[in-house]
Amino acid sequence: MKYFFSVVFFFCLISWGNAQCYLKVQGSITDPDTHEMLSGADIEIIDINKKTISDSLGNFLLEGLCPGVYDLRIKHLNCNPLTLHIHLKDDFKETIQLTHYYNTLEQVTVNADIQKAGASAAAQISGKELDQTRGLSLGEALKKIAGVSNLQTGTNIYKPVINGLHSSRVLIINNGIRQEGQQWGSEHAPEIDPNIANRLTVIKGAASIRYGGDAIGGVVLVEPKMLSRLPGISGELNTALFSNNRMGVLSGILEGNFKHISPLSWRVQGTIKRGGDAKTPNYWLENSGIAEYNFSATAGWLKSNWGSELFFSSFDTELGIFTGSHIGNTTDLINAINSGKPPDYIADATFSYNLDRPKQRVKHYLFKSNSFIQTGNAGKLNLILATQYNSRQEYDLKKFASSTDAPQLDLRISTYTGEVVWDHHSWNGIRGSMGVSTMYQDNWYQYRLFIPQYQALNAGLFIIEKWNIGKLALEAAARYDRKNIYSIFANDGTTYPDKNFDGFSGNLGVIYAVQTNHRLTANISTGWRAPNINELYSDGLHHGAARLEKGKADLQPERANSFIAGYQYSGKKWQIESEIFYKQIDDFIYLKPTYPPQLTIRGAFPAFEFDQADARLYGGDISLSVQTGDHINLKLKSTLLWAWNISDKDWLIQMPPNTHEVAVEYIFTDAGKWKQPYCKIEFTYTEKQNRVPGTGNIEIKQTDGSLSLESDYAPPPAAYGLTSFEAGTSIQTKDRPINLIVAVNNIFNTVYRNYMNAFRYYADEMGTNVSLRLKIPFAIHKHI
Amino acid sequence: MKHSVLKATAAFFVGSILLNSCKKDDPQPVNEEELITTLVVSLKDVATGFTSTFIFKDPDGEGGNGPTQFDEINMEAGKEYDCTLSVLNESVSPAEDITEEIMEEDVDHQFYFTPSGSSASVTTTDIDAVGLPVGLESNWDAGAAGTGTMKITLKHKPGEKAAGDTIAVGETDIEITFTTNVN
Repeated sequence: MKYFFSVVFFFCLISWGNAQCYLKVQGSITDPDTHEMLSGADIEIIDINKKTISDSLGNFLLEGLCPGVYDLRIKHLNCNPLTLHIHLKDDFKETIQLTHYYNTLEQVTVNADIQKAGASAAAQISGKELDQTRGLSLGEALKKIAGVSNLQTGTNIYKPVINGLHSSRVLIINNGIRQEGQQWGSEHAPEIDPNIANRLTVIKGAASIRYGGDAIGGVVLVEPKMLSRLPGISGELNTALFSNNRMGVLSGILEGNFKHISPLSWRVQGTIKRGGDAKTPNYWLENSGIAEYNFSATAGWLKSNWGSELFFSSFDTELGIFTGSHIGNTTDLINAINSGKPPDYIADATFSYNLDRPKQRVKHYLFKSNSFIQTGNAGKLNLILATQYNSRQEYDLKKFASSTDAPQLDLRISTYTGEVVWDHHSWNGIRGSMGVSTMYQDNWYQYRLFIPQYQALNAGLFIIEKWNIGKLALEAAARYDRKNIYSIFANDGTTYPDKNFDGFSGNLGVIYAVQTNHRLTANISTGWRAPNINELYSDGLHHGAARLEKGKADLQPERANSFIAGYQYSGKKWQIESEIFYKQIDDFIYLKPTYPPQLTIRGAFPAFEFDQADARLYGGDISLSVQTGDHINLKLKSTLLWAWNISDKDWLIQMPPNTHEVAVEYIFTDAGKWKQPYCKIEFTYTEKQNRVPGTGNIEIKQTDGSLSLESDYAPPPAAYGLTSFEAGTSIQTKDRPINLIVAVNNIFNTVYRNYMNAFRYYADEMGTNVSLRLKIPFAIHKHI
Repeated sequence: MKHSVLKATAAFFVGSILLNSCKKDDPQPVNEEELITTLVVSLKDVATGFTSTFIFKDPDGEGGNGPTQFDEINMEAGKEYDCTLSVLNESVSPAEDITEEIMEEDVDHQFYFTPSGSSASVTTTDIDAVGLPVGLESNWDAGAAGTGTMKITLKHKPGEKAAGDTIAVGETDIEITFTTNVN
């Protein structure tokens, strides 16, 4: 830190020491792949707020500059913004290459390009919005996107839910690679450090085909920043502190490029997260702490006609599971629900950082290589290889103090993926990608059986093409996948039949740009998902949910046919973003209640078997933003969903309730070093979920002593409204701006329970939480 | 250039091997330790010394197949019995006697007896190291003739066991409702 400040000080001296302010910075902007000159690019010297736009030949000129150190930022539609750090001693002239998303080494951005100018329904968070989520888990951060909610287990486990679908129906692409862990489990959070990303994208439509036809809920892209192409070393420190569970998160990035070996760039990144017990308005949640240690390293070699990148990441987390949620049988669960709060000996606990049983220990390693060669002027050929290893250990309370320390559940899965993709540049106005992808998996377990050992082989072929004609853009994608699951056995010697599935997915999208800031989109798609190993062969007690779940070996793939239409308008005063969707899922796989309950030594448990039914999901979201005057911004947002089981003529269980948000933001005038200060009050209202199945297989004793069969142990919790406050600012320093955000969630310490939280039976949600976020970018301009 | 791509690919595969070499051992025993599969209720007629046993047995644990044996408890009206409970794990061979572990950690465990209808009234006769009831040993007074039930519950309450605890305290390890026939 001392070194960092002295470096800052040193550069301050340089920039103050001169006064010949007649230098100029000029150049031209080109696309290195298409060799096009880019007109209309924004060129800005951030430090002194000097701006210009490149002309029709891609040239630009900025004059009257003093010698000094500047950050020159260049932005162009569909391009990765570039920041050049320049030491201006004399006039500066350079041809600047600005890569389009689809030309970059990050193959994930292929889709970012398609979605941005394309017809797929997609939304993203980056920049300031992403800064506001620092310190949160991936699932929580994604909640900022319309249509995305969370499936929660306590205060540490958040799974993204896209328009009501989650787990194996939502693909998460971590730095271009399909995240492969045990994602089928509702209490298995994504094993990804969101601090790796500088952009999170949710794709609900077509572009998802690039990653697999099984993403019938949607795709989440976790994309890191491109490697720095500028000589020198720079970095960023992010800290987030939370009052409620006394959690601290520290994350840092250090990256650089060598002046004398200019093709070589590198980055290292790491995150430490440590939190203790969370507090509801009335009691602590004993044993709800977290400890997480993540790091990643990237090295890339980029030449104009070929490049290669290696990426390694390690994710390691230990999550406490609230003691009061651990129950032995249905009697314990009913007692917990009826008492309305955890038993005194748990509710009376005081704050602690201890992580005891029950807990989860999850590790995920990813190693990836990514290379490309330009194939003449026609396009680019990419080879992507990855191996990932996931280990998940779940520790229940011990039966006896003398019991071994081993976990009850121990699952390990290794995944190897390989992809060859050819991106071709514009040919008669058509551009796109085509490729082959393969995946091999090996799953292993010990101790308790929940899913068996197995191996799986997947192979897919895909093509995505996009055609621009005037105000119209068309996009079409097709994919064929095969999936084989074999060598399936349990450790007691039981074997299970092999499974083979195959099928097509396809998509057609159209976008009509009425004006550049005003567009209509429509998208139809068909996709399929093979039954998961747990849906086929699981057989056992789902502890937290107090029910027995049994797979069904003859399940067939489910097929989703969807239609999404969107309307976007972004004017000076008004901004509208809206989307409606309709999704018909044939043979939707779900847990069907069976009756009577199954008898065990711990009493009778309600039993569920995986089964298939036709389902229909529809809904939409709308967000509206009005600017009144120069300072006040009013935002309204609503998310609606209906999920219907057509075969059973009843609602589908565990679907997110409708939510509505109102926010008022006040943006202050810059004051000295304080840039863009703002404050915001937000009110979120979550409706009670009334769309739940009318009957089920769970015996509930009514007050008159009679038994009724319900679909759930407890009715959905009441509606609730939460108020939060946030204030932030950029603080100009001589180097780069420091960002500061203070937020208060659940200001009024409202007591509520969330229908989408598996622990709604046991405890209230977190009370007031004050957080402080600080982002400190820095640069060490040491040329090596 | 091709050379570098080759190198990168080679490095990649070496890395892959390193990454995955640190995993699999041979799978450990099939079931988690201390799976409770069986409860044996032995009733000794205090007058005659004659002992009958009644058994609940689910050898593959929760899920899978249902219980293979679930006896009804037969008693004679007005008689007094000494009851001894025995808890087993019969998913392993030879069967493991979990009763010993309950005895060793009796300060954390307690059996509850909940009669209903024609059954027996139960008095726990054994105590743990701090003088609180355990329930492995008890005295049953059979009631009037008829049928009813006897619910036997084992509660695990590490660090929480106290005098006068209700049945709601702790986590349930066993909950079996036997049908009782009092003749």
